Amino acid sequence: MRRVLSISVLGAAALLASAAMVACGSTSAKNPGSRANLQPAPDVTFKNLDGAEVPLASFKGKVVLVNFWATWCDPCRSEIPDLIGLQDKFSSKGFTLLGASMDDDGKKSIEPFMQSTQFNVHGVEKTMDYPIVLGTDAITDKFGGLLGMPTSFLISRDGKIVKKYLGVVNAEQVTKDIESQL
Amino acid sequence: MTKLIRSAVVLGALFLISGAANRLTAPAQEAPRSAASVVSTKVYTSLDPVPRGKDFQVAVVVDIVNGYHMNSHKPLDSYLIPFTLTPQLPAGITLADTIYPPGKNLKFPFSPDKPLNVYTESVIFRMKLNAGDSAALGKTSIPITLRYQACNNSACLPPVKVPATADFTVAAAGTKAKPMHLEVFTAATAAAK
Repeated sequence: MRRVLSISVLGAAALLASAAMVACGSTSAKNPGSRANLQPAPDVTFKNLDGAEVPLASFKGKVVLVNFWATWCDPCRSEIPDLIGLQDKFSSKGFTLLGASMDDDGKKSIEPFMQSTQFNVHGVEKTMDYPIVLGTDAITDKFGGLLGMPTSFLISRDGKIVKKYLGVVNAEQVTKDIESQL
Repeated sequence: MTKLIRSAVVLGALFLISGAANRLTAPAQEAPRSAASVVSTKVYTSLDPVPRGKDFQVAVVVDIVNGYHMNSHKPLDSYLIPFTLTPQLPAGITLADTIYPPGKNLKFPFSPDKPLNVYTESVIFRMKLNAGDSAALGKTSIPITLRYQACNNSACLPPVKVPATADFTVAAAGTKAKPMHLEVFTAATAAAK
């Protein structure tokens, strides 16, 4: 009976472990701890709200979280307080958030949104204070296309895509992922 | 007695673990699909034929893929993109009104405190139209553009325009017309209240 019990528990544990792997695989494209087989971030150039060019490569040496979002996207709005918190926490340590807006009318929608929308960040009202650029379909295509928004890409200091996040980021998880790259 | 307890422990553990495994392996959220494939549409006309001089209706039945929602025609926030129907009317056909049913106020994981006014499942929109004296006799089509912006529980798809077409026949004034698709128009009237 003891043997049967041991076999059952081992089998069940294996089943549980494999199920957990399936569940985790759906949210993580890559293990941020592993350096093998990481794809380089695409060679893309955004424009900022003033029309100036912002090459992604200009952030090389920093850990970057590129966040594709839009003002009309409620899930995107819901994660902005966490993104502001990440910028506050890590910007002095070689990290930057880069918000790439997919709004069709660009600056017209984004600028008033950035200036007037207050977000509660750990009890403090704040506006978006991280760099915002304009995303385009041509740029998202180079990232492999967007299935939905928000979608974020964590890029290492040496310009490799470490992880892709589809949907609202889990603040705890993305914090760990950023820390692993700093 | 010891055997019985051990058996119960093993069975209980297997039961718990299989439940946990089911929860873990069940798809937590369907991956987003293309924006246009979130809906399928069917279009119905209330009369056949449509005599010149008569009012008639066109119903657009929109079936939304399970797990997705779209902003209603009157979302609660101005920044959200509303659902709209835009017909391209042929000469002689006039639009009196487009009737959008009210959306449902639902909360989502990304908006746990503030409800959103959305359409889910199956929604019927109606256009009230008139065939004037100058409407061309014979087979006629009204191209209709649906514009919407859909999301699931964690991500949104870009706004998209999807075409649909109302096909019907215009007949001479006084021609006897048969009411069509009563069940659709009755359901649409009830849903609009």
